[in-house]
Amino acid sequence: MNTTLPVITGIGSVTPYGPLAGLIPTEASLQPSAITAWSTPGLRRAFLVEPFRPANIVPGLKTRRLDSLSAWALVAASLALRDAGVDLNLMDRSRIAVFFATGLGCVELTMAFYQSAAANGWAGTDPITFPETLSNAPAGHVALFHDLRGPNVTIGSKSFAAESALLQAASLLRHGQADMAIVLAGDTLTQAVYEWYEVAQLLDPACFSQEPLSSAPGFVPSEGVVAMVLEAADRPASRPYAALGAGRWATGGDASAGVRQLLGDLQPDFIIYSAPSASSSSTCSARDLFDERATIFPAQTVAAGMGDSGGLLHILMALSKRPGSGQALLLGTSAHGGYAALRLELR
Amino acid sequence: MIDARNTIVVTGIGVISPYGIGLSVLRDGMLRGQCCLNPAEELYPGFHGTVAAVGALPSLTEVDRYSRTDRLAMAAARDAVADFTGSGSILRESGIVMASTVAGLTEIDPEISQGPAAWYQNGGLTRAASYPVSRVAASVGEQLGILGPACAVSVACASGAMAIALAANMLLDDAAPMVLAGGSDALCPFTLSGFNSLQALDPEPCRPFDQNRNGLNIGEGAAVLVLETLDHATRRDATILVVLRGWAMTNDASHPTAPQKDGIGLALCIQRALEMAACGVDEVGYVNAHGTGTPLNDIAETHAYESAFQGRSRPIPVSSTKSYFGHCLGAAGALEAAITISAMQNSALYPTLRLTNPIESDQVDWLRGELRRQPLPMAMSVSAGFGGSNTALLFGRPRA
Repeated sequence: MNTTLPVITGIGSVTPYGPLAGLIPTEASLQPSAITAWSTPGLRRAFLVEPFRPANIVPGLKTRRLDSLSAWALVAASLALRDAGVDLNLMDRSRIAVFFATGLGCVELTMAFYQSAAANGWAGTDPITFPETLSNAPAGHVALFHDLRGPNVTIGSKSFAAESALLQAASLLRHGQADMAIVLAGDTLTQAVYEWYEVAQLLDPACFSQEPLSSAPGFVPSEGVVAMVLEAADRPASRPYAALGAGRWATGGDASAGVRQLLGDLQPDFIIYSAPSASSSSTCSARDLFDERATIFPAQTVAAGMGDSGGLLHILMALSKRPGSGQALLLGTSAHGGYAALRLELR
Repeated sequence: MIDARNTIVVTGIGVISPYGIGLSVLRDGMLRGQCCLNPAEELYPGFHGTVAAVGALPSLTEVDRYSRTDRLAMAAARDAVADFTGSGSILRESGIVMASTVAGLTEIDPEISQGPAAWYQNGGLTRAASYPVSRVAASVGEQLGILGPACAVSVACASGAMAIALAANMLLDDAAPMVLAGGSDALCPFTLSGFNSLQALDPEPCRPFDQNRNGLNIGEGAAVLVLETLDHATRRDATILVVLRGWAMTNDASHPTAPQKDGIGLALCIQRALEMAACGVDEVGYVNAHGTGTPLNDIAETHAYESAFQGRSRPIPVSSTKSYFGHCLGAAGALEAAITISAMQNSALYPTLRLTNPIESDQVDWLRGELRRQPLPMAMSVSAGFGGSNTALLFGRPRA
């Protein structure tokens, strides 16, 4: 067992902030934008990824027949590897893992497949679309493009898919089952997803007007993919963002007790809240656990809008805004009583 | 000296299959050589294929909230802990890793694509709630009152085996006292149509590893294994069924759907599982193969066995139990792990059905015809899937 803490050495993202390698510029601020990709009965807003040509970011990338989630995963992973300064030719690619977290998977092409079934019957569906509807298609494409032959895993976890992926990827490194992992988390927003939220009355009133975000219950849907390169230990010439300590997640039980057990005597310098929002009652009660000197990074609306897969964007936004190094705790609580807690040593 | 805290054991198995509920029902059916594959026309009018369906799906009170995949998973999980005798807190704090490829797709109609809002308003909202793959794990948690870490694995046809591998890692990390791991997938028009469009389906009962094989058949079912460390199992005086001696995951990085022709990725996966177990190639007595029956998979897999088990003193015994009840997609790896364990418990090497003209290989001992009876101290289950993923699980008998 490797006792060295795994280190985040590269970050790439395709989010409403655009395709980026590394951190998000701190001056960047974001408002929801009007949906134009499908016709809506009035103004409908969300945090959306602006269209871009993936091959302009990653030369040689062919994404024409892929779900946006696969295309964004390819771009985000490539940017993360570029940011990490990794020369894959010098590495044993059979020991590089890909871990992808998603809430809903490739919904864009799943809907296209249903469209072809509605139009042509089940006997007339498109063979090229079908494999691209599978949730693990994005991770498979990342492996294929970069010739990564280590473990290739796609997971979902209610509220905490991203946190779960980070923890499990770190576990692979700790147990010597891989030397490096590209951890990705993301989802896309389609008409079917947006209208699902809308009919279920889950949306923030700001989704339907030009008003600023409110404190009313509800959220503004978001989309994107964040990728992080996780290495078993510091590599010479690498620029580590953070080391990953212990963590835990659960679907219920006493979150406070779980976090206390995880932290032991440690008082974190930073608390990074993830889903659902800093103002929720469950999050506030968890806040009582910490020394008041700790700097709090509240849950970010744009990341919370990604739902189960928003955890990596929460981390990225906190890393982008932090004033210095120190011990951090990523803490997510869900409305259903679950929690995720992850120790990070910010470098 | 056994490191009990880092040794993973299986202490419970739950199964729901086309044979019915329970591993013993599955075992008895397979020992009889009973094939569960039937014309799909009976279930899906107009679809000319062959499938294996579960008839014995128990009803649940709130069926609306759960997809058919969820219900299969819940039935298998209940069966897995039916004989659990530990304290309630152990079960409550346990983890869940459930695999699925289909998940709640069973509940969605093509009409959703014509107007999602209207579809939701006309009763689709509750059904859509079961769509996320994470729901399968959450359903098992709700059913059994489990509050520990829960996640779903969706890695196409390697999912079920990978769930077991990830659960083993979680136990090494002390993330939970026990982990229920497995897979569940239900028959649905979406996947039947998808594989049909790829021309991957054999309209007749499939013939894995036969030179005249013509594709796969889809089945449905679920299997859940109860995993814990040897240390934990011993402390609570649990019956140890088998030891998970080794596990490994690799990717072909070769093609989005087709396996690597020479099977190198799968061979590496098998070798890594053997390395983890510090096990020689001669020690493995049986491989439960992925064996889908498609022309490309079966030849690639044959090459993988020839490569990974090179140097054996005798050919490696291999069979595909998909010939009994089809390919259960995300559940396949977990069901086949359960079948592999059953083979060890019963010293019974299940033959591949309808294998009359096997792929030529002097390094593979194709199990066919009569059931072979022999002691089986160690056996492997192998899975592969779209996206290039491979998983190998190596089980050993517990020491007396």
